[in-house]
Order: sequence, then C-alpha cells, then structure tokens
Amino acid sequence: MKKGYKKVERMTSAMRIIHWINFFSMIVAIATGLYIAAPYYQTLIAEPAVDKYVMAWNRWGHFMVAIIFDVTSIVVAYLYFFSRFEKPYKKVLPTAKNIKEFFAVLVNLITLNRSKKFDSSHSDSFNTVYFTIFHLLLLLMLFTGLQLYVEGLESGLSSIGTWWPSMLHIATDWTIPFSHFLVGSSVQDATIMDVRIVHHRFMWLIIVWVVFHIYYQVWRTIFWQEGDIAIAFGGSKYVKEDKKAEN
Amino acid sequence: MAGDKIESVKSLFTAKSAKVETNKGEEYYQNLYAQCRERLDNLKKIVPVSNNIKIKEAIEEEGVSRRDFLKWASATTAMLMLPASFTPLVAEAATLMNRVPVVWIELQDCAGNSEALLRSDGPTVDEIILDIISLEFHETLMAAAGHQAEKQLEDAIETFKGKYLLFVEGSVPMGINGQYGTLGAKGETFIDHLHRVAKDAAAIIAVGSCATFGGIPAAAPNPTDAKGVMDVVNGKTIVNIPACPANPSNMVGVILHYVLTGQLPELDSLLRPKFAFGYRIHDNCERRAHFDAGEYVEEWGDEGAKNNFCLYKMGCKGPMTFNNCSIVRYNEGVNWPVGVGRGCIGCSEPDFWDKYAYERPMANANIKAPTGGVEKSVDEFGLGLLTAAGIGIGIHAAASAIAGKKDNQGEA
Ligand code: HEM
Ligand code: HEM
Ligand code: SF4
Ligand code: SF4
Repeated sequence: MKKGYKKVERMTSAMRIIHWINFFSMIVAIATGLYIAAPYYQTLIAEPAVDKYVMAWNRWGHFMVAIIFDVTSIVVAYLYFFSRFEKPYKKVLPTAKNIKEFFAVLVNLITLNRSKKFDSSHSDSFNTVYFTIFHLLLLLMLFTGLQLYVEGLESGLSSIGTWWPSMLHIATDWTIPFSHFLVGSSVQDATIMDVRIVHHRFMWLIIVWVVFHIYYQVWRTIFWQEGDIAIAFGGSKYVKEDKKAEN
Repeated sequence: MAGDKIESVKSLFTAKSAKVETNKGEEYYQNLYAQCRERLDNLKKIVPVSNNIKIKEAIEEEGVSRRDFLKWASATTAMLMLPASFTPLVAEAATLMNRVPVVWIELQDCAGNSEALLRSDGPTVDEIILDIISLEFHETLMAAAGHQAEKQLEDAIETFKGKYLLFVEGSVPMGINGQYGTLGAKGETFIDHLHRVAKDAAAIIAVGSCATFGGIPAAAPNPTDAKGVMDVVNGKTIVNIPACPANPSNMVGVILHYVLTGQLPELDSLLRPKFAFGYRIHDNCERRAHFDAGEYVEEWGDEGAKNNFCLYKMGCKGPMTFNNCSIVRYNEGVNWPVGVGRGCIGCSEPDFWDKYAYERPMANANIKAPTGGVEKSVDEFGLGLLTAAGIGIGIHAAASAIAGKKDNQGEA
C-alpha cells in the first residue's frame, strides 16, 4: 500500500453483487424496453409465428429483470436503515451537518476539485442523495411497470392465484392519477396511457442518471486520487491518512 | 385545475379495480333469477308509456327471423355475463324495453352515436330494439322543433319524474360560462340544459367518448373547455359507454340490464360497465400471435399488411385500451377496426385524441412535453436530455482536465 494511505471498506460483497446485478438488469431493461416501445429490428418472415416469439421473449426478459429489480430494491431499502456502514437514511435527512456536507461536495465538483473540505472516508451526503434519487426513480419504474403489467391480467386470474393481481392493483393503481398529473392534459380523467408515457420518459431520466453516475465515479477516482472506483469492484477505497501533512 | 388533480388522486385510493367476476356462484344467480322474474312480471303490468310497438312484430317486419332473435338473445346473455339459463329472461326483457322511458339529449357532438344506431343498411336486433324503446325526447329524431320541442321535454320530465333514463351524447363546453353551446328558443346553455334534465333522471347514461370524457372537442388545446358528463354532474348515478361511436350492443346491454334487473351493471373506476370494458383489446385480438412473434406491418399495404400482421408499429393502441370490440365487434359481429387492417386508436379511453390516436407507437408520437409547450416524440425528448447531460459532462471533464494540469504545474 502506498505510504500515507489507509484502506477503508465501503461495500460488502453482497452490496457489490447487488450493484452489478442492477447494472446488468438496467442494460437489459433498457434494451428490451425500447424494443417493446417500438420494435426496432425485424424478424424473418419465412418462419411460422409460433417459432419466433420475438416480442414475447423481449417482454419475458423485461419482466424477469423487473422482478430482479423488485427483489434488490427490497434489499436496498433494508440497507438504508440497517447497513453496517453509515446508514444512508441518516445522510439524506436535511440536518445542518448533511446540508453543509452536501454543498461542500457539490462546490468541490463545480470548482473542479479546488475545495475538498469534507471527509471522504465514508459515503458523503451528496452521493447518498444522488443514490436516493436513483432509488426513487427506480421505484417509480417498478410501480408504473407493475401497473402496466397488471392491465394484462384483467381477468383477475394469474398462474399463482387471484391474490397477485388484486395485490398489484392495490399497490399500483395510484400511479394512474399520479402519471396523469405528471403528463398533464386538459382532460381531468386519467388513463393507463399516462402511465406508459411516464414509464417511458422516466427511463430516459434513469439513463441520464447512469451516465452522470459513471462519469462522477471516474472523475472522483482521477481527481481525489483515492481509488474510489474500486469500491464497486473490491469493496474498499483508500483515504489519505493525514490530510494536513499533504498540504 | 390543481384542486381537480388532488381530487383525482384522492379518488384513486378508493378506485374499484377493473377485475371482472365472471362467475359469482350458484346461489347468487338463483337469487338474481328470482329477482329478475319478479321485475319482469311487474313491468308487464305497466302499460307501455307512449308507444305500443311490439318488439316481435317490429323484428318480423324488418325481416329478422325468430331464430336470429333467439341467437341474439343468447349472445347478449353471454355478453352481460349471465348464465345461459337467463336467455329466456333476456328475450322477454327485450320485448319489455318500451316500458322504460328514455330521454336523449345532444350537446357538443356530431350525432355519430345516434347515426351508428340508425344508419346501417340491414338493421340489427340491437338497432331495432333501440328504435322501439320509449324514446320520449331526441332532438335529432323528433319532428317537433323550437318551443314545441321545449314543451315536449318539459312534459317528459314531468310525467316520468325519477323514472326516465337520460342518455347524453356530446361533451359539455364549460368555457365562457357555457356560451360556446346554447340551444332552444331561450338560448339555454348546454350546462344548464344538462343540469335541468339530469335532475329528475333515474340514471344518466353517457354515450360516446365526448359525453364520457370530453372526446374530440376536449382534444388539445380544448378551446371550449369541453368536459364529460361525469365531470360536470354530481350526485347522480352515471354510466359511461365510451367509444367513437359507442357500440349499439353495449347501449342495449346497459338498458337491457336495467330492464331485467332494475339495477345498472357493475362499473369500473371510469364508470364503464365491466361487461363491456373489462377486456383489453390486445388480449382478445386475432392478430396477437403476430404481436408476440414480432411480426409487424411496417407500412400500409406491405407484405405484412397482406398477411394480417400485428398493427402495433402502425400505432395500434390495443395494449392500452379497454373495450369489447375485439369480442363483439360492430354491426352484429361483422368486423372491427383491427379486423379491417388498421390499428385501434383507443377511442374508449379518456383523452384518446391526444394520447392514443396517432398512427405510430407512443415512443415516436408527438406528445406535449411536461412543460406544456413543445411537442416532441418521447424518444427525441429523452435523447435531447441525454445530449444536454453529455455536453455538461464534457464541459466539466474538459475543464477539470485543464484545471488539473495547471494544478500540477503549480506544484512542480
Ligand atoms: C446501470 C448502471 C449502474 C447503476 C444503476 C448503478 C447504481 C449504483 C447505485 C444505486 C449505487 C449506490 C450503492 C448502494 O446504494 O448500494 C452505486 C454505487 C457505485 N457505483 Fe454504480 N451503478 C451503475 C454502473 C456503475 C459502473 C459502470 C461503475 C464503474 C465504473 C459504477 C461504480 C460505482 C461505484 C464506485 C459506487 C460506489 C460509490 C460510493 O460508495 O461512493 N457504477 N451504483
Ligand atoms: C428500471 C428499469 C426499467 C426500464 C428502463 C423500463 C423501460 C421500459 C420501456 C422503455 C417500455 C416501453 C414503454 C413504451 O411503450 O414506450 C417498457 C414497457 C413496459 N415495462 Fe418497463 N422498464 C423498467 C422497469 C420495469 C419494471 C420494474 C416493470 C414491472 C413489471 C416493467 C414493466 C413493463 C411493462 C408491463 C411494459 C409494457 C410492455 C407490454 O406489455 O407491452 N418495467 N419498459
Ligand atoms: S393489432 Fe393491436 S390489439 Fe392486435 S395484437 Fe397487435 S397491438 Fe395488439
Ligand atoms: S378498436 Fe379501438 S379505436 Fe376501434 S372502436 Fe374499438 S376501442 Fe375504438
């Protein structure tokens, strides 16, 4: 280890596995989601319809990663309160300390790393807020997606019983007026098309989120010189032991 | 508007789901049967209110055989989700349709729903039945005009107070105090007209997409501030039969259900009868296998179109639309939009003109951006967002790189 640096653990292997499962799921969700939205490749006409099943496989893939997202989201929600590192919920509460830290990190980002006046050994408020935004976006995708899904179970039946569609209705029917509110119109009655529009638009917000997320992790790694990107791979990063000595 | 939105969010948590219960158990149907029997016997005692046409004769005159009539009765029984044992009751109820007085008013509309009933070349049983219901008032169909018509309406309201079914066709223009639509010699606004006639109705049946959700008059920018009946009239039983035009089978279904049971059919959260709007077009579409296979019509008249491929890429909104066209079809089961090779435009859903009726998938459609201004396809909007983020990142990265270098030089 380079002299003057201390290794700090930031993500357990379980958290890292979740991270990369999320990464993989997101790629699949976007690729299949875009196909569902407007099928962008064509299938060969010479085969009988039953053999191809292209849209059906895309939807299958989309729903499978959706279920994976569902499960990882529950784990992540758990970690927000019971993580053995800095519990994320403590970092998003708008306390004076958190607000100060949030702006300290933001200012450092805007001033191109000229004022790094915060403790970078633990997850800072700025990053935690940013991750919270992701989880909220993902939650909205989950709820709107499940609403779109339950529309296809209009018989009220499903392979695992009638409780499943009933539960989905209770859990996701609110997305209809909520989406209508987001999309807006001169008519006051909401429809599931609003949900679909929201599901699609928020995919773009998530893509933008991911692009900045990756950029920021790389930028941090280069400019903070603390190996931040290793958090997602090896689980730990390095912090300069004595900052004053460095200056 | 903001208040309305809060209301609609609130109403969401109390919304009934779209679930359709097709089998409610032996006991339920036995009780219902007895109840219907009693109701029909009582109705028979009532002398038909104003017209004395007998359905059996009317049907024979139009050249429909008894056999066809019974076929219709069993199909209608199934549509109303009743067991086959109810077929004789349904046939009987059909002959008693003229016991229930109906008032039909037209507001901001094209009379398309009335036309749908009247203008087919061979009248179907549904249409004959709608012809002989006790229509006490219908602006387009009746001979009276002006003060006479006004008088006739007042008489009808007075005579059948609390008993008549009010059919409303057309949206209600709410702008400039309703001055966009007035009628009659007194220049009464549509709003006042609706409220006056609605007050003493047993129930209101809004037919067509305009009367239900505002329809085409309510399309952006909605110059007249058009609204559906349920957004204007409070405290009344309302049934919505949307679609453009509403399917005569569904109109008859609702009246028949009322004649037969004395109650209105079970409704979904948008007040649409579940027997008709509890199905998604897409799930009963004959082209669904092609959808799953990824076989789409790419262009009107192409090889796919000749082979009846799925119309999703031509903008079919079947996956987002609840209606029974793919099951009962139109004109006594002759055909329906997807059957003739064009996509569903979601005409039975709120806001269909703005949010469903474009001939391409939603992703490529020009839907108003959240700010309300520019119309952009959803994907163009998303790519724009991504580009903006990309540029931001690029600038930040370049600036960081330059600033970083200077730093190093300083240290050196
Ligand atoms: C679809 C793509 C991705 C998504 C959705 C995503 C999401 C996330 C989320 C939600 C966290 C917070 C961890 C938690 O709360 O458990 C996180 C952390 C992290 N991610 Fe990603 N990520 C993606 C791609 C990447 C990639 C490609 C990299 C590496 C180049 C990366 C590097 C990191 C790092 C280093 C952290 C830890 C940051 C810290 O603790 O300060 N991520 N990511
Ligand atoms: C976060 C990741 C997700 C992304 C990026 C994503 C993206 C998309 C996109 C772009 C569409 C096409 C919408 C359109 O017509 O324009 C779509 C459709 C859909 N998504 Fe997702 N989605 C995600 C998560 C989910 C989840 C969690 C579910 C829950 C089950 C879900 C269920 C659906 C359903 C049911 C459809 C409609 C497909 C159909 O039946 O035709 N999605 N998604
Ligand atoms: S034509 Fe329309 S309703 Fe039929 S399968 Fe295709 S998308 Fe669905
Ligand atoms: S197929 Fe769609 S657009 Fe056509 S009548 Fe039925 S609901 Fe309306």
